[in-house]
Amino acid sequence: MSLAPVSPLPVGAPDTNRIALRDVRKTFQLKPGQSVTLDGRLSDRIPVLSGVDLDIRQGEFVTIVGPSGSGKSVLLDIIAGLTQATNGFAAIDGHKVSRPHRETAYVFQQYALFPWRTALQNIEYPLEVRGVGRAARRERAQHFLNLFGLKGFEDRYPSQLSGGMQQRVAIARALATDPQVLLMDEPFAALDAQTRDILQSELLRIWEQIRTTVVFVTHSIDEAIFLADRIVVMTARPAQVKETIAVDLPRPRDIEIRNSAAFNAYRARVWDALREEVSKAQRDWALASAYNA
Amino acid sequence: MTLATDNSTDIPPRVWWSRPASLPAPSSVRHAISAIGLGLPALLVLALLWELAPRLGWINAIFFPPLSQVFSALGEMIGSGLLAQHIGISLQRAAIGFGLAVIVAIPLGLLMGRYTLFEKISDFLVQTLRNTSQFALLPVFILVLGIGEASKIAITFYAAVFFLLINTIVGVKSVDPLHIKAARSMGTSDWDLFAKVILPSAVPSIVAGARLGVKSSLFSVIAAEMLAAQSGIGYLIQNSSLMLETDRMYAGILTLTFIGFLLNYGLVAFEARATRWRASEDKGAV
Repeated sequence: MSLAPVSPLPVGAPDTNRIALRDVRKTFQLKPGQSVTLDGRLSDRIPVLSGVDLDIRQGEFVTIVGPSGSGKSVLLDIIAGLTQATNGFAAIDGHKVSRPHRETAYVFQQYALFPWRTALQNIEYPLEVRGVGRAARRERAQHFLNLFGLKGFEDRYPSQLSGGMQQRVAIARALATDPQVLLMDEPFAALDAQTRDILQSELLRIWEQIRTTVVFVTHSIDEAIFLADRIVVMTARPAQVKETIAVDLPRPRDIEIRNSAAFNAYRARVWDALREEVSKAQRDWALASAYNA
Repeated sequence: MTLATDNSTDIPPRVWWSRPASLPAPSSVRHAISAIGLGLPALLVLALLWELAPRLGWINAIFFPPLSQVFSALGEMIGSGLLAQHIGISLQRAAIGFGLAVIVAIPLGLLMGRYTLFEKISDFLVQTLRNTSQFALLPVFILVLGIGEASKIAITFYAAVFFLLINTIVGVKSVDPLHIKAARSMGTSDWDLFAKVILPSAVPSIVAGARLGVKSSLFSVIAAEMLAAQSGIGYLIQNSSLMLETDRMYAGILTLTFIGFLLNYGLVAFEARATRWRASEDKGAV
């Protein structure tokens, strides 16, 4: 099959560690004629990830925060098997990922629904390409559509749905194949604040029933704390894991938890870890724009 | 399982596209009626002028018979089945040529749009052929294929194939990379990527090309029939002109106008149906 077994993998017991990242590095080659200045030297290569090590347990909900441009999305792409690491590797259940894994699902910020398919047909899509029969996949898609409160919107096209509803369809599509790993790249960033709050709660409620492993990238500290078992703070580019913070808040969580003292403490802690990196990233950008001017 | 879902904040109101497809939206019907109502008088004036000018001796009735006479010739040709026979032959030629163009252009366009190397190899050839008029090539088709059906089908094929090919390439190139990425992440095979993502993405562009191609095929077959044929609506018009049966000639021309009308509206309706998933605001004008 698509996965070559890796042995020996220096990680814990395979049934507890679902995802393992080992010294993951990624360097982008710029197009001819483009260049950047790194440490005072002109270069046509940008290192984005510089040795990410991370273990994610089965059923764990991990959120990743970091300054803009710190390669969080690239990291998800590497776990998803959509991009190859320049060095190091990502492994799922002890197998190196070299191409999209059957047990992985990906949710994008811009929904990425197919506009020529109805809501129901979009949810059916991953089942269809896996060869699930028409009746079975329709029934399954309908189940997930209902799960997200979209009963009655089966035959709507994405252009006829609000952003929040489109993202519900996209998450339903991702969950329709019972993925072991759910990768989410700022899925709620394009939504208004109220819809965002509602979808966070909905996602948690459904996740508490299925307990799949989730890796969720976000810019919002509140979102990162509210959802996570563990928060991974990334450094500025080239990124590494700066710190991981276990979130010991009771589940199921209610939106009101954000007003608690414990939540505030986490907020301060995450912001502390992030502050230095964000200002480093901003200096980086300021420098870049000064050069471009 | 009960999941409280508060959709109330972001469910858009039901709007016109949420009604069943069989029911026309009242506003569009009203719009069509008002368009006809406003446009009809100008047409009636032209018809009246056509009727009166030859009768009053303003123009020569031999070259320009009154409209009523044209209609009676039309009725006669409909009654005798002559018109239907010629129309059938012309449409059949156009349809075969167009059908072949679809079969060739869409797979070729998918490959050219997707694989840069393939496009680089074939692009110059396509551009050269595309800029050679199908009418200029008619003598070549006749020399090579004879004056029978094959040369007419060849010209209709040539007339449509480049519209379809170019629009298929454009359609394939405009596929949203995010859709490709999403499809890949769901384990889509190369074949499914073509069939289930790239082709549907390209459909609006392909259908627009098909609309141009169908018209071009029909016009070309008429021209070919005028130059070298013993049947078809183009032959009917040309032959009536040579025989100075100008009422039949105009009847043929009006028939073509009518077919053009029907075809255009049919194609517009088909295009609307094929691309009904698009948001209403980015649909092109009729």
